[in-house]
Amino acid sequence: MPQLKQTEQTASFQVTATAGDARAGTLTINGQSLDTPTFFPVLSFYGGGTKSSVFGGGVHRTIKEFMLGKEEIGGGTYDKYFRGTMTSVASLTDYGINQERFNDYTSDRIKDRETFSDYNGLIFVDSGGYKFLHNNGLDGSDFEIEIDQREAFRIQKQLGGDIIVNLDRPIAPNDTFDERQQKAERTAENAVEFARLTQTYPGARYLTVHGYNYSMLDRFFDHIQSQFGNIDISTLFDGIALGSLVPKKDDKAALITAVMDCVEIMEERGLADLPLHVLGIGSGSIPLLVAAGADTFDSTTYIQNAINQKYAVSLTKHIPLDAVDFNQCDCAVCSDPKLVNWMQGNTEYQKDVLGPVAMHNLIIHRQEVRELRQRIKQHGTDPVIDYLDETVGRNDSIRKQTHRVVNEALGGYF
Amino acid sequence: MKQHPEVNEVQEFLEIASDFEDPLEIIRESLSNAYDAGATEVVITIRDSAAGSDIIIEDDGHGMSRDDLKSFFDLGNSRKTDSIGHKGHGTKIFYKSDRIVVDTAHNGSNFHAVMDRPWEKLNEKTLPEYEVSKTDTRPGNTGTRIQISGFRSGEGFDPQSLTYDKIHHYLKWKTIAGSTAHFFDDSQREMEVVVDLDDEIDDTRDQLTTTNQLTFPREQLQPSTGEFPATRMCKHYPPRKIEFEHDEGSSTVEIVGMIGGKDARNELPTYGRHSVQFGVWLAKDHIKVEQVNEVLTHDNEFIHFFFIANCQDLELAANRGKVRNKASSLYKTLKQELKHYMTKIAEDPWFKEDYLETRKRAQLRRRAQSQTTSLEERLESIDTNDQFKPTNRSEVLLALERSNNEVDNSITVKEYKADHEVPAILLDDDTLRTSHVYVELTEHFEDDYPLGSADTILCWSYGDIDILREYERNGYHGGDVEIDLQDNQIIYHHEDRHTVDIITVSDRLAALEHQPLTSLD
Repeated sequence: MPQLKQTEQTASFQVTATAGDARAGTLTINGQSLDTPTFFPVLSFYGGGTKSSVFGGGVHRTIKEFMLGKEEIGGGTYDKYFRGTMTSVASLTDYGINQERFNDYTSDRIKDRETFSDYNGLIFVDSGGYKFLHNNGLDGSDFEIEIDQREAFRIQKQLGGDIIVNLDRPIAPNDTFDERQQKAERTAENAVEFARLTQTYPGARYLTVHGYNYSMLDRFFDHIQSQFGNIDISTLFDGIALGSLVPKKDDKAALITAVMDCVEIMEERGLADLPLHVLGIGSGSIPLLVAAGADTFDSTTYIQNAINQKYAVSLTKHIPLDAVDFNQCDCAVCSDPKLVNWMQGNTEYQKDVLGPVAMHNLIIHRQEVRELRQRIKQHGTDPVIDYLDETVGRNDSIRKQTHRVVNEALGGYF
Repeated sequence: MKQHPEVNEVQEFLEIASDFEDPLEIIRESLSNAYDAGATEVVITIRDSAAGSDIIIEDDGHGMSRDDLKSFFDLGNSRKTDSIGHKGHGTKIFYKSDRIVVDTAHNGSNFHAVMDRPWEKLNEKTLPEYEVSKTDTRPGNTGTRIQISGFRSGEGFDPQSLTYDKIHHYLKWKTIAGSTAHFFDDSQREMEVVVDLDDEIDDTRDQLTTTNQLTFPREQLQPSTGEFPATRMCKHYPPRKIEFEHDEGSSTVEIVGMIGGKDARNELPTYGRHSVQFGVWLAKDHIKVEQVNEVLTHDNEFIHFFFIANCQDLELAANRGKVRNKASSLYKTLKQELKHYMTKIAEDPWFKEDYLETRKRAQLRRRAQSQTTSLEERLESIDTNDQFKPTNRSEVLLALERSNNEVDNSITVKEYKADHEVPAILLDDDTLRTSHVYVELTEHFEDDYPLGSADTILCWSYGDIDILREYERNGYHGGDVEIDLQDNQIIYHHEDRHTVDIITVSDRLAALEHQPLTSLD
């Protein structure tokens, strides 16, 4: 095992307050800071389109217009909702582009393009492991690229990710023990190569881990550690990204177990100072997982819900778009008569009906996470408990899980 | 022309008094009235004599004025506004008697009121009258004494049934003597309640003394030792006030309670069947009204819980027996709030991990002990020289495998699905055979299984040969059956001819000695 070490400190994570297992902190990467807990909205920077279409992509395009404060959406200031964004290597060919366009997408760092030059948020570039597990590479209209750790990193670097993760092999709920071991071994091999390749990378490097409970995660960490030998992995990575939870997104009990157990193992293995990112999980799970100790999240639900004409009133509650009274919300989107008019269907393109809905959903998402952050910073666990009680605890299907988190991570009610 | 609807006064009195059946309700009403009158002591005396029974309630409250006394006898004319008996119905229970005598001292006057034969008169469609006389008394001399003679309950009032125990439990469960107000209001006035029964009724003690406060069994968070370590465990859950919004405004529910094992619960008074009185109770005036155990999730047995949820905005039926405004948004929201709160209790780690786990572990230990005992007994009863004899189908299969050592042709069990009608597939001389399995062949016929559903019947023995012969004689399932024990076959003729082979395992095990029967005759 060659010597591996991080040559330059480009990322740091400072915990500033805790309430039980929940923590608030500051994630600083390349001089930019994000307050945690925080939510990274997933978006597609290149939705198959060209520069003139803000790189295309339907609702994604309108979202990017919000992100960039474009005239098309009235030029409002929405950049504060995009201080951290998530995109995936795998999303590059979602629209079946040709090789020429692919080469264009990966020719310059996202932030070095004129189109995105005003954007200065942190970009988290996922390796696309979940997608590559099923088809081995990037599949365009006239080309295929086989993806391995080296290639995944090359693209992450080309896109200019501020946070990047190793190429992983996510597990599935019905995997056998042997299948999980094989995936863990391959992920661990990739992690070593990733560590080697990224030694001088000017960004944060996260290690992906997979497992639904303590035993699975502990064994996974064993695989990783055995690949790294005696090297302390906390010196090589700037964060842990817990994956494979998307198939369990509706099973709150499973999500909580996974996060709590991951937090426990991170403590046991001297990784407690690293931020814990939960891949692909958003909405109503966020408060429960924050209480359980997770720091950052990403998901597309704010867009998916908009596409399904669902307008958020909280993290757990959505109402059909045609039943919305926009006067009830004072967010920047719902306060803009033009955007309200669009959301009521009075515009030519569906992306302009649903784009503002997605933006509104994102604002609700971010506001709730911000509120949660404030509660953690207040004294004691009561403010967080009260928040959970008033929000997710009012939802019949997750009330029991709320109580579980309060009991296990926040000291309980009695 | 506008007209007023008319009220038949006599009928109205009858109807309302009829809502009350139980003589104990006299006590409930009197206690509430006494408390409202500022009493610090109430004495209830029940006498049984040849001339009839007397229930006497005396309190040291501030007594009644002439107007108060009028309200006492009037219907729906209570002078109270926010106290327990403000409907003015409760005292009408007194009308179900032969005589009511009230003496009440108030502000230097003593009023003496007598009503004779109220129930008889009401039933004769006459409004009973009462007579009031006034005398002077010392200003400091206050209090009320009510004497009800010859009370008529639905099935006749039998004072002998009113033991101290029964009254005590009723007091704590249904009256202000079981109030939980003191958990929420430190200044709640304490009132002593004394019950004195005739020796003829109950001579187990001189009298019963209690207060107007319900208290929970002592808290014990740790398990005890012994076989049932959780049974005395008990945790108190502190009083909580929860405000909630509903369509009609906002309300407050005050919840207090405990979780406890059987021994802890047994320290509480009992009203009705002990096992069904726990769970969550709705209360008004901090007096329990009815259970809402549905606010506990289905995976929690209500028996461990005893919670009282008081809401002053609940409206009660005239006899206080149930909640009247169940269709309201208030009631529905209240139940949601209770459900929310009770889930927190049910998810409390003490309940889930300490108490329930202690119970579960003890139960498993007891089961293991009983299994060990029975295993020891079984070991002792086994004589190694005894011949093995199966008692169930699995043991028949075990015997079949053993029999392979004794005979030339091996029969092995390839598959056994106990819950299937044809449970076994046997491999016999390279041939797969579907097979029924019985300890005795007769069971196949007794269980009424068709004869065409398998190739083979595997059994330990034939069973009662005469039973088989009867089937042969009378036919089976509308066809003729021939049971050929010499060739170990059953031949069944209905529309077709079907042959079923019989494998008798006991014969295989005793292959050398056994002389098979040649026929059933």
